Amino acid sequence: MSRKRVFWFLCLAGTPLAVALVAVLMFVGGDRRVLMVGAIGDAHHQIGMACESCHAAPIFASRATAIEAMNETCRNCHEDELRAAADSHDGKLFRGPRMAVYREKLDVRLCTSCHVEHRPELTRAGAVTVALDFCIACHSEGDQDVRQARPSHAGLDFASCASAGCHNFHDNRALYQDFLIAHAGRPWLAPDPVHKLSARYRSRQIAGVVLAPGDAVAPAAALADAAALDHWAASGHAAAGVNCAGCHAPDAAPDAALAEIEALWVTAPESGVCAGCHRPQMESFARGRHGMRWHPQLAAPRDPNRRLEAIGLGGVVPQSVAAWLADSPLPAHMTAAEARLPMHADGGLLDCGTCHLPHAVDTGRAVVEACLTCHDDSHSRAYTGSVHHALWLAEQAGEAPPGSGVSCATCHMAKSERDGEIVTDHNQNDTLRPNEKAIRPVCLDCHGLGFALDALADGDLIARNFQGRPTVRVESISWALRHAAQAGR
Amino acid sequence: MLTFAEELILLLHDEDGGLLPIQKDAFDCALAGAVLMDLAFAGRIDTDPRALLVTDPAPTGDAVQDRVLARIAGGAEAGDTRLWIGTLSADEAPAMREQVLAGLAQRGIVARRGGWWPFRSQRRRSGGRVAPETVLRLRNALCSDDIPDPRDVALISLLDACDILLDIYPGREIARRRPRIAQLRKMDPIGREVAGAILNIQRSVALALRARSARLRRLLLLFSTGGALAAATTLLAPRIPIADSFGPTLFERLWFDAVWKQWSGYMLLGFSIAGLAAGLLPRLRALARRGGHNGWRLAHAVLGLCCLLLLFAHTGFRLGSDIEAALMGAYVVMLLCGALAGIAVNGASQLRRLGIGARMRAVPIRLHIAALCPLPALVIVHVLIVYLY
Repeated sequence: MSRKRVFWFLCLAGTPLAVALVAVLMFVGGDRRVLMVGAIGDAHHQIGMACESCHAAPIFASRATAIEAMNETCRNCHEDELRAAADSHDGKLFRGPRMAVYREKLDVRLCTSCHVEHRPELTRAGAVTVALDFCIACHSEGDQDVRQARPSHAGLDFASCASAGCHNFHDNRALYQDFLIAHAGRPWLAPDPVHKLSARYRSRQIAGVVLAPGDAVAPAAALADAAALDHWAASGHAAAGVNCAGCHAPDAAPDAALAEIEALWVTAPESGVCAGCHRPQMESFARGRHGMRWHPQLAAPRDPNRRLEAIGLGGVVPQSVAAWLADSPLPAHMTAAEARLPMHADGGLLDCGTCHLPHAVDTGRAVVEACLTCHDDSHSRAYTGSVHHALWLAEQAGEAPPGSGVSCATCHMAKSERDGEIVTDHNQNDTLRPNEKAIRPVCLDCHGLGFALDALADGDLIARNFQGRPTVRVESISWALRHAAQAGR
Repeated sequence: MLTFAEELILLLHDEDGGLLPIQKDAFDCALAGAVLMDLAFAGRIDTDPRALLVTDPAPTGDAVQDRVLARIAGGAEAGDTRLWIGTLSADEAPAMREQVLAGLAQRGIVARRGGWWPFRSQRRRSGGRVAPETVLRLRNALCSDDIPDPRDVALISLLDACDILLDIYPGREIARRRPRIAQLRKMDPIGREVAGAILNIQRSVALALRARSARLRRLLLLFSTGGALAAATTLLAPRIPIADSFGPTLFERLWFDAVWKQWSGYMLLGFSIAGLAAGLLPRLRALARRGGHNGWRLAHAVLGLCCLLLLFAHTGFRLGSDIEAALMGAYVVMLLCGALAGIAVNGASQLRRLGIGARMRAVPIRLHIAALCPLPALVIVHVLIVYLY
């Protein structure tokens, strides 16, 4: 066969072959990384290959259906936090015909109007993919024109609305006018700077039978590990009466005999065991960057057999081939190496035991040392030696009252009270991006609102881990006071 | 015995009466040259570098030759051989072709059917192709080392001067006989006087042909150079940033709005298919004789340029990643190599002066075709991804 014929044969045969291969990837299973049309943003990159988590519409659905299905998936994961934030631009507010004029400019009912994935070039802070002066769409004319309603805003650039520490699109819990006025004039530091929930948490008494090393019930080989036994005996688990079997033989009955425990013994329990008792923590962990791969709403890998059946090839393709076509599941754990923030090279994978050492359940370690084992950005590096760190060391040494120390987790894994119980929120994003989310649950216990706003708007100060005073001045409080005075309030 | 013009007509038509896919200019000039060669062999004209002279105005008995002889002898237009080739090819070629075919039909060599001239004699099966006797005779002259008939030498030289020898013999067999062709063109088996005239005619044919296609070549060279620069820019230029202010600009709509992207994408696909067709269709003889090679080449180049403009509208120099990058890479390389091939073909003489040989000049053509190979699959996948996700 001449070279020309070979060439045309390869063209004609190669085209359908290549298309068929890609069609198999699309419709049946396999590694779809090659099909990615643009890098996924920082928010979702670690779950990027669970495509159906976001692309939930049926194959070749209409554009409207695809957009609706995609927005539904956004709500599946983010609706709770938006509800908790009393979303200032809740889609429900924009449903009526009166709002059509605004929807035309920016349809805020759809998350994808402002947050589009696979657009790295357009993606700004907070995964926003519209220009930062987007407020101009609705607040620059008519009765919504802020420059008319607020003379103080007359000369301001719309790009500064959300970037100067004054407003957020969704979460304004610490930024609305009445709140600003109520907290006006507070000193930068409270007379007794203590984070109250942390104080209560650290001084709490754990009810239950306190177990001693001699109470441990475990196979002889496990009991031979004296260090593990000592660590356990000093841990909250022993203080709460949780014996070895609680984690190593979770399927055993509470009063099971040693033989049963030995039969059901698991040397290295999975993190799922922790969820048995620490469900709220586990749920928030799965909503944050550390544990997102455990989120229950993530799409499971596609079942090639079901996919083949759907396209009329069920039973035609041999099982071995179908198995070969199966999607690779997402890795079970996020790893420091995959992170997009600067991390130490030796940072490992992330599960419960990464921060909470399996036996020495020392929350003191988990809230500072564990973080700095992986995080290597300027803010993290500057923590050691900062005022917050000094306070933390003092509290740990018993030289300062409980709750006066500020660990990494004090700010980034804030505590909340649910049904009288203090729970650590393991979704570090709940007090980040935008960082004003931290003001109410964290900052205000120790600092005045004005200082907190200024500090959180000062990027350099944040990089120095708040060593020094803010050089940025956020005018929100003074403008709110002036506006209230003009209104005769 | 057939005249040069008759043999040329038989050589350049297929059995259905269709013209082989050669440039129309080349055909017209070759026919004018063949008639002048007939007149030179008949002793009616002579040439020198400055003029074409009628030495004997007596009719030859051949309608075509006598018509041309009368026009030259009429003396209304004086000029050298090149000028006459240009005049005859521009004014007389269609009429000469008709007259030659009519003469052949009168002698029963071809038969007229409808508006076409299906050939019915002087053909022989040769390797699956119906070839006239002349084709076989010239092939023998080219492939053997024997001393050929002087008329065959003259005809081969004329065909080579018009650069259509390889259109008649498209295989490698004759292409490899370049030394033999050069040897035949140097032969002087006819007699000094006639040989001088024939040589002069052949040179003039080549010069006239070159002059007639020079404008087109310049145009194609311009398009090709522009295309090459645009393609290289597409590959190397950083993507054009978009304005950091709310309210979609024209470019933001073009590059990010799904509906606009569909429009530009499908237009790009349409123009690409049209460009491909303009490149491939001239290979179909039936179509080649309608537009001629020049029209198709021009269309091919213009469509290529349009594709680059549409690609800019579709991407704004954003070539994507992974499979998108593969598609864009193959596509832009295909366009770039196409433009370079246009430069290689239309700027051959300039490149030759720069020491770039024919082999080097063929590289972009091969790459142009090779880069085309994965494009259908990549385009289908691209469209599937857009609609599936």
